[in-house]
Amino acid sequence: MIWLPVIGLILGVGIGFAVNVTIPVAYSSYLSIAILAALDTVFGGIRASLEKTFDGAVFLSGFFFNTLVAALLAYIGVQLGVDLYLAAVVAFGVRLFQNIAVIRRIAFNRMHTRRTRSARDSGNSTDAS
Amino acid sequence: MQKRGFIWSLTGIGLLVGFMLTVQISSRPQGASAPVSSYVDLRTEIQAQMQENRILTDEIARQRAQLVQYEAAQGRQSDLLKALQQDKQNIDREAGLTPVSGPGVTITIRFDPNLPYFDKTAGLFDEIADQEIGLIVNQLFANGANAIAINGQRLVTTSSIRLVTSIGGTSTLQVNTVPIVPPYVITAVGDVDRMMAVLTLNNVQAELATMQEDCVITPHRDKNGVTVPGYVGRLPGTWAKEVSGS
Repeated sequence: MIWLPVIGLILGVGIGFAVNVTIPVAYSSYLSIAILAALDTVFGGIRASLEKTFDGAVFLSGFFFNTLVAALLAYIGVQLGVDLYLAAVVAFGVRLFQNIAVIRRIAFNRMHTRRTRSARDSGNSTDAS
Repeated sequence: MQKRGFIWSLTGIGLLVGFMLTVQISSRPQGASAPVSSYVDLRTEIQAQMQENRILTDEIARQRAQLVQYEAAQGRQSDLLKALQQDKQNIDREAGLTPVSGPGVTITIRFDPNLPYFDKTAGLFDEIADQEIGLIVNQLFANGANAIAINGQRLVTTSSIRLVTSIGGTSTLQVNTVPIVPPYVITAVGDVDRMMAVLTLNNVQAELATMQEDCVITPHRDKNGVTVPGYVGRLPGTWAKEVSGS
């Protein structure tokens, strides 16, 4: 079950290569920003799941909304002649690393708790014998 | 239940992200190692393209004139022959097969034991003569030289400057595969001011002096100036013939 997202990712890459869709180079930067926003949402979702605050609707809407708004921001920036996409890059970049840091901390905490519990359980069993 | 929803959402999103990543990777132009990231780069690129455009436009105009000439000479064999001979002369001149003269510079490089001795660089010239002379020639060509000869050997598009070391360890400089001996005399016809400027800017004399090589640069601004002989070596294709039917 836990491997499903990885399989999904591989499947997506496979479909991408199979259909061989390309976009004009001019729009390439918009897609880069959109990918960054998507990654931010993915890691946000993983974090929320670990903190037991995951909401499917928020996750899905966040993915599409963030992706579209990021690409739109980049487009507006190009029209205005201002590198607005940098704002999205910085915002999503910072959040991405924050989320990764929180996920890492939660993972370590869980590992530590599990280890302590198993040590305590083995101690109790020794006492009982 | 919540976990199952999360896994399925993440799977769907993962699929989309994978697809987007693949599209992005496939859409990147192949061979573009460094994207043009600044206005300065773009401006330089535009200038280069404009320059190329100008050269190509001139070439088209020249070819059109030649076409008109051929058309006018059509049916008149003597005129056609004259036109072809004129073409041959032009090609010979462009290819460097004819001597040229005009304002220019001469650079004479010779060993001078009276120059200050530096441990690290003394005698180094004998080991890198081809590189040093190649650099000077490139700088001259890039800054106004129209024709260059080294010790009478005219440099053309197929020319070579090689330092060839024999089994005994003796190195000989070869230009157009013809061995030449010091003093090396580089003769260049072209824009004297620009050539002098680049030689001064690159400290050619000072650099060679550190290797105990005396470098004398003489500008010839008068009308007669200097003469660069034509190329007399073998032409490409003397031995190697094109395979017919390939």
